Amino acid sequence: MNPEEKLRYQSRIWLFYALVVVLVMILLSGLAYRQILQNDVYFERGKIQNHRRILTPGPRGNIYDREGRLIVSNKSKFSAVVFLADASVRRSFRQEYYGMKNEFQERGEKFDSNRLQIEARGNVIQSYLDDVNRMLGRETSINASRVSQHFNMNPLLPYPLIDDLNREELAVLLELLPIEHPIQIYASHTRHYPYENSAAHLLGYVRSSLLEPEKDLKGGDLRTFSTKGTFGDNGIEKEYDHLLQGKTGMEIWVVDPAGFQVERVQKQPPVTGKDLHLSIDMDLQRIVEQQFEVYDSKGAFVAIDIETMEVLAMVSKPDYDLNDTAPFLSFTTAKDIGERGAWQNKAMQGLFAPGSPFKLLTAVAGLKAGVIDDDTVINCPGFLRVGRRNFPCHNRAGHGDMDLEHALSSSCNVFFYTVALQIGIDNLSSEAIFLGMDQPTKIDLPFETNGMLVPTKQWKQERKGQSWYQGDTANTAIGQGFLLFSPLQMAVMAASIGTNQVLSYPSVLKRTSEDLDKLPIPRSLGLPEEDHQLILDGMKLAATSGSARFLQELKGEKLPLGGKTGTAQVRVKGGTLEMAWIVALAPIDDPKVAIAIVVEGEEVGASHGGGSVAAPMAKPFFQEYFNKHPELLPAVEEQAAPTTASNL
Amino acid sequence: MGNLQDYWASKTHSKKDLFEAGQNLARLNAGYELAIVENNALKGEITRLENLLQLPSRPNYRYEIARVVSRDFNSWWQRIEIRKGSIHGIRRGDAVVFTGGVVGRVSEVGRSTAIIDLLSNGRLRMAAIIEGDNRPMSFRGAGAKTFASPNGFAEFVPSDVKITDPERPPRLITSGMGGIFPPGLHIGYITKLTPGANGMFNDADIQLDNRLMGISEVAVLIPLNPRNE
Repeated sequence: MNPEEKLRYQSRIWLFYALVVVLVMILLSGLAYRQILQNDVYFERGKIQNHRRILTPGPRGNIYDREGRLIVSNKSKFSAVVFLADASVRRSFRQEYYGMKNEFQERGEKFDSNRLQIEARGNVIQSYLDDVNRMLGRETSINASRVSQHFNMNPLLPYPLIDDLNREELAVLLELLPIEHPIQIYASHTRHYPYENSAAHLLGYVRSSLLEPEKDLKGGDLRTFSTKGTFGDNGIEKEYDHLLQGKTGMEIWVVDPAGFQVERVQKQPPVTGKDLHLSIDMDLQRIVEQQFEVYDSKGAFVAIDIETMEVLAMVSKPDYDLNDTAPFLSFTTAKDIGERGAWQNKAMQGLFAPGSPFKLLTAVAGLKAGVIDDDTVINCPGFLRVGRRNFPCHNRAGHGDMDLEHALSSSCNVFFYTVALQIGIDNLSSEAIFLGMDQPTKIDLPFETNGMLVPTKQWKQERKGQSWYQGDTANTAIGQGFLLFSPLQMAVMAASIGTNQVLSYPSVLKRTSEDLDKLPIPRSLGLPEEDHQLILDGMKLAATSGSARFLQELKGEKLPLGGKTGTAQVRVKGGTLEMAWIVALAPIDDPKVAIAIVVEGEEVGASHGGGSVAAPMAKPFFQEYFNKHPELLPAVEEQAAPTTASNL
Repeated sequence: MGNLQDYWASKTHSKKDLFEAGQNLARLNAGYELAIVENNALKGEITRLENLLQLPSRPNYRYEIARVVSRDFNSWWQRIEIRKGSIHGIRRGDAVVFTGGVVGRVSEVGRSTAIIDLLSNGRLRMAAIIEGDNRPMSFRGAGAKTFASPNGFAEFVPSDVKITDPERPPRLITSGMGGIFPPGLHIGYITKLTPGANGMFNDADIQLDNRLMGISEVAVLIPLNPRNE
């Protein structure tokens, strides 16, 4: 090689070296870029690939009544489960599969490997279950397809084999099942309602659904497996779901490339939700429910503590056993409840013509309009001619001369027809609207009806395309016609009239003094005190000797009550059904509690009066109420000490 | 006069006679010392046997009293070996008790020896209840640190169970529902409660009886109607 060739050769070598150096530099810089600059990115990607998150729902909070009785709780549920991703279980699956495969091959038979895998897994799990069956004396078997489905879909979650271990079975398994056995004891919880169907509509139920973990829960970017959580679907359970809902627990596991758990790297236990204390008194609630059960009646009842506007009892019949909705509501149960018409909470979703209790409002309107006062006397001949039609009083022979007190006591239709016709429908409707009767009461329960109706001339024109007639006003005056209210509204109306204030915002949650301070100050109803007293006197007379006398018809017992009964008529196919009503206040001289009860008539054309049906059913409520509040009973006058002479 | 007579009588003995007399005396003394040691040992034995006699009678079991011959208290095993075995009717899984409550459970049985997993053994699990309650929970051994009390661990402790007075902590006893241990046997005291894995229950640390580490006699509960497993 001459020097010139050597130089050329060397220059090519140097060029080659330079090329190699450049390529190595590119490689190294690429490596540095990946390893150093993009370290975080790849670390996160790696974590996402080999970390899995398991979510566990937090137990819901308990619910107590106003006296601290536990009315909704969580019941622990123990299950025998197997973790299909466990290494020993997977080893057994493989051994069983190859064993079965060899048998097929030895017999020279063809086989479907997928089907064989499913069978092999089923055989292994069944053999585990057989151990448990032997210990418990059960004969449970597994569904091989479900095992495989669970294995493929949720390998990190336990597969339940026996879902309802009782205490004895749990104890037996704890002592007889070796710790290293693939079957483990797993505890979960389900909602429990110790009072069964009591206050079912008010309490509501829960449904199972996928968990929605809190945003601040770690591992949000990881692949997540989750057991189902429970969410309030109705009643208190729904309204206060945000308080009752427990905080979701979390575990993060490192998994192998096949997705099976290797090591737990993080754990955050679930936290139980907050407890709720309701305003409901289960003694009062049960006593009214028993009345409906004894008389096998449908209807609704609401009792309100007037000072705090707390609901003391809320009954709706027919109802259902809340325990039938846990751990899940089956289609059959839902269908049965639906067929019995038991889903509806009639106390706040049911709409009824209010009947004669509405006369209280007619009286308020008449007094405020100045068309009646304590001297007003109206003659009742048994009917009132309105236009071309006679509007009857329920006493066809006529009540004779009636003042307001006696008109309320006797529930004289003619008196209130006359008052309403004098003030006109505009005044009457305005008064109902002023009392908030055209609006939901804003109770803290979901799905309160907003279908209540206070008819006006404009409404009738728009809806029916008809003018308003005097007869419509007469019907409205006695709570018939187009009026529709819920029993809850009627109880609030009674409370408002009892206190001469416009009350609203009833609550099923026990209110603290801070809660009460936050409530808007109620408006005055606007009745002068003597006029207000006239209404209370009418209600008192009704409960003493009038239509509501069955409220307190017990020998030697005079509870300080006031009431207004009613019998609303509803046209149905083939005739009319009667709805028995009563609204009442106690003690009538300084009302502390207001109630409304409606009992549905079920036989067309049959008499179903408020005084004879609803009043006796409300009576036990007041007896129990005064048992709990004897200080509200009037002081019994001390009898004079017998004289010596009388002893002789 | 008598003393003088004795003196001259002794003077007449030979040295050999005196040595023999001295040796006899030493033998006698040694015999007495041995008897004292034996008496003390017998006293201890009697005390232990008296303690064992305090075990209540159980109509469904018979007691097989056995002496502990070795102990294995490493951090994992927590075992003892007793000098009774299958020829005495002992079977794997039998409950083992002493006057202080549960000792553990027979895990291996030889012809004339048996290995017992102590309560503090991590492989021992049993159903337990809080005294005065009837909700079963799971008890497991949790070992024993050097020079410290043996420990246990309970799962599924109802969340309403609280340690209101540390001087009188809740007591864990056997439930009797599992079929191995009769009801009401002492297990230990709850010393600490922590939230459990599913939020519904608590976990509890259990302090076991210190005597478990130095126990020398135990009673194996042999069922009169053995279970079929």
